[in-house]
Amino acid sequence: MSTADANGIKQAIRSFILSSIAVPDLDDDADLFESGIVNSLFAVQLMTFIEKTFAMEMGMDDLDIENFKSLNATTAFVLRKNGRRSG
Amino acid sequence: MAENKSKHEEFKAFVARSVAPFAEQWDRDQRIPDGIIRQMAQSGYLGCSLPPEYGGQGWDIVTFGLLNEAFGRGSSALTGVLTVQAMVSMVLLKWGTMEQRRLWLPSLATGEMIGAFALTEPGAGSAMQSLVTEFTPNAQGFVLNGGKKWISCAQSAGVFLVFGTLGGRSVACLVPSDTPGLRVEPISDLMGFRAAGLAQLHFQDVVVPSANLVGKPGYALSHLAPVGLHYGRISTACSALGLLRGCFEESIGHAARRKIGDKTVGDIGMVRSLIARMGTDLEAGTLLCHNACRAEDEHLPEVFEKALMAKYFTSRAVVRAASDAVQIQGAAGCHGSSAVSRYYRDAKIMEIIEGTTQIHEDILGRIFVDQAGGCGTSTRAD
Repeated sequence: MSTADANGIKQAIRSFILSSIAVPDLDDDADLFESGIVNSLFAVQLMTFIEKTFAMEMGMDDLDIENFKSLNATTAFVLRKNGRRSG
Repeated sequence: MAENKSKHEEFKAFVARSVAPFAEQWDRDQRIPDGIIRQMAQSGYLGCSLPPEYGGQGWDIVTFGLLNEAFGRGSSALTGVLTVQAMVSMVLLKWGTMEQRRLWLPSLATGEMIGAFALTEPGAGSAMQSLVTEFTPNAQGFVLNGGKKWISCAQSAGVFLVFGTLGGRSVACLVPSDTPGLRVEPISDLMGFRAAGLAQLHFQDVVVPSANLVGKPGYALSHLAPVGLHYGRISTACSALGLLRGCFEESIGHAARRKIGDKTVGDIGMVRSLIARMGTDLEAGTLLCHNACRAEDEHLPEVFEKALMAKYFTSRAVVRAASDAVQIQGAAGCHGSSAVSRYYRDAKIMEIIEGTTQIHEDILGRIFVDQAGGCGTSTRAD
């Protein structure tokens, strides 16, 4: 996975998050779920976005808040999952 | 599309033959006979959206929506079986382990077992965060104590997906209905949805093996319940749409045939106004339901709000339509023997189940405001 790929993934996730929650900008490490800025469906919306955009399927093993708590965490999760799939 | 239409015709024929003629009796008896459940199971309807590898039909959600619409036209209560079966099955398909899917899904897919979604509690209603049902660890897995209320199809369910807390974290567990310590207390005399087999569940020191835990502790309310409720909303939106079609068909039939002197009821301008609104709501609801089902098939992230909008719209529209359908038929429509009197009672239930109208407004309102407040591109445009 190249740096360009990683940046593209991060940008796509950033755009999705910003289209879903009422914040003017997003710190890469801001905790999305602790801050109370997301609606009650955001977790499954984000999950569906990731599955659709990056052609992957999440299951029980992926249920870990560390995977989705921030923009950086979500990007790292997608990169790891993609790496496992292609590796 | 042609295949969907053909399936819809098949479903409507099934309902016309095996559901509609008996729905009034089921409503009076407050019970759905086992025979019709068996027929639905044999037709593959109860596991229609599960993959064939688990014994399902692998139908897309557009087809699932048409199935619910067709059944909603005949009996809201019977359609409730399709609703809860999908809610439990789809949560298990998404978040269950391979072992859990292999163990539970085949019997749910074939309809050998009915699943029920045990989320609502006597003191919580639609407020999911207030669960008091509690799992505590023991040597075998967990001990479950607490209670659930207003659980659709609980009287006939073979397994419940029970939501509660474990050490302060939300969890969901599969609990077979014959587990010692679980008591199913039927709820009778609802105003509508009378044959849907609702019950209150009492759990007293119910031992649940740890293998029955679905997903991981802490994610039942954020990831499991929303998936189940999502399919429940799609099912209920389409069921309400079918009921709305019933109101419309009864009303136009009555307006065209019922004579008052040398005129028909349909010659009355104010009646035509009621029917115009009903028919337009039917068309709008059809589009919203199709849009939600198609978004699910395309796995779009905005599918959740589309399902909310479809359910919000059709459930409110059918309440108006059922009221107008009774109004159009006058005294005859108020009698218990009229189909529209049942539609009127069932319609209101559509506004309550799988989240009340007010819950839908709260969630949708927040989603819309959040989309405007962020600086990204709206996901709703299409």
